[in-house]
Amino acid sequence: MLSRLVFVSANALKGSGPLGAGLVQASRSLHTSSQNLAPVPPLPEKGGKVRHGIFPEELFQLLYPKTGVTGPYMLGTGLLIYMLSKEIYVINHETFAALSIGSVIVYGVKKFGPSVAAFADKLNEEKVAKAQEVKDAALASLTQAVEQEKKEQWRAEGRTLLFDAKKNNVAMLLETNYRERLHMVTNEVKRRLDYQIALQDLHRRMEQEHMINWVEKSVIGSITPQQEKESIAKCISDLKVLAKSTKATV
Amino acid sequence: MAGRRVALKAIDWLAFAERVPPNQRGMFNALKTRSDAIAAKLASLPEAPAAIDWSFYRGAVAKAGMVDEFEKKFKALQIPEPVDTQTSAINAQEAEADKSATAYIEGSKARIAEYEKQLEKFHNMIPFDQMTIEDLNDTFPETKLDKVKHPYWPHKPIAEL
Repeated sequence: MLSRLVFVSANALKGSGPLGAGLVQASRSLHTSSQNLAPVPPLPEKGGKVRHGIFPEELFQLLYPKTGVTGPYMLGTGLLIYMLSKEIYVINHETFAALSIGSVIVYGVKKFGPSVAAFADKLNEEKVAKAQEVKDAALASLTQAVEQEKKEQWRAEGRTLLFDAKKNNVAMLLETNYRERLHMVTNEVKRRLDYQIALQDLHRRMEQEHMINWVEKSVIGSITPQQEKESIAKCISDLKVLAKSTKATV
Repeated sequence: MAGRRVALKAIDWLAFAERVPPNQRGMFNALKTRSDAIAAKLASLPEAPAAIDWSFYRGAVAKAGMVDEFEKKFKALQIPEPVDTQTSAINAQEAEADKSATAYIEGSKARIAEYEKQLEKFHNMIPFDQMTIEDLNDTFPETKLDKVKHPYWPHKPIAEL
């Protein structure tokens, strides 16, 4: 970790020119300013790039301008040979123990690493998802609540319609009443006038009938028995004449 | 017999119906049927009564002067307009309704402000995967573990795990 910092600051001191994507890490400058960033910027997703599991990429980038691609390898080989030949590192039993244990560990990590990491990630994901659900549900219910309130306000604004309807009803009732009164007056007057006319007609008819009856009665009364006998005889002689003429024609 | 006409406001029943909340629908329907009945009754009556043919009557009725007298009295007759007793009550109701409606709207606005505040909080929240436990406790105070009441891990009753 400290080595990485050394390399990073070394690059910064050299006025680092663009050395490709390898240089651009999430270079977090810890507490360089008097204010601490809040919220704390998130930890980078992946650790710094390494080659062969241990050697940070910055070393290779550092040595690249001077020694090219094989530089760090030559450095490593030289260092190793120096330490072995000068017996700065002595080969003993522990060396072989370290080598075997190291190889088993490396094998184990390479084989099972990803699955364990995935499992741990899943656990975390579930926690985050649950929290996210809560947040989404809260957001949805809040927005809906706001909408409902606005709708209720809009409804309350419609109260004028109600009172307009009521006033309309009252006006209509009054108007209806007034018209009914008008009609009633007219009808009553007409009825009285019609009654007068009907009364007059009745009078006239009764007078007519009475007169006719009286005339008839007086005419019938004026027919004397003598006249009656004469008219009957005349009728009989007329009938005889008629009978003769019809007998002749038949 | 000049009819004074208080202009009837045309009521948009559809818009009115939209604004009625579901729990008052029955009352609205009753009102509508009543209004329709009244309107139908009004429409069925002609505005002015049929005119009386005075000349016909003058010729027909034998009694002298009767028709003329009737005509004079008829023309001079003023039919009183029906007295309006309800409008003041309706206006009082309207004023009261206005008051209660404004009070309700105020309350509603206060509630909306609260909801908006909470919405803001949720919108400005940092995403969960960048939070620390302290951030979580700040945003949702209910997640804060009471280390004084339950000093030993897990700092909450076992039943709540």
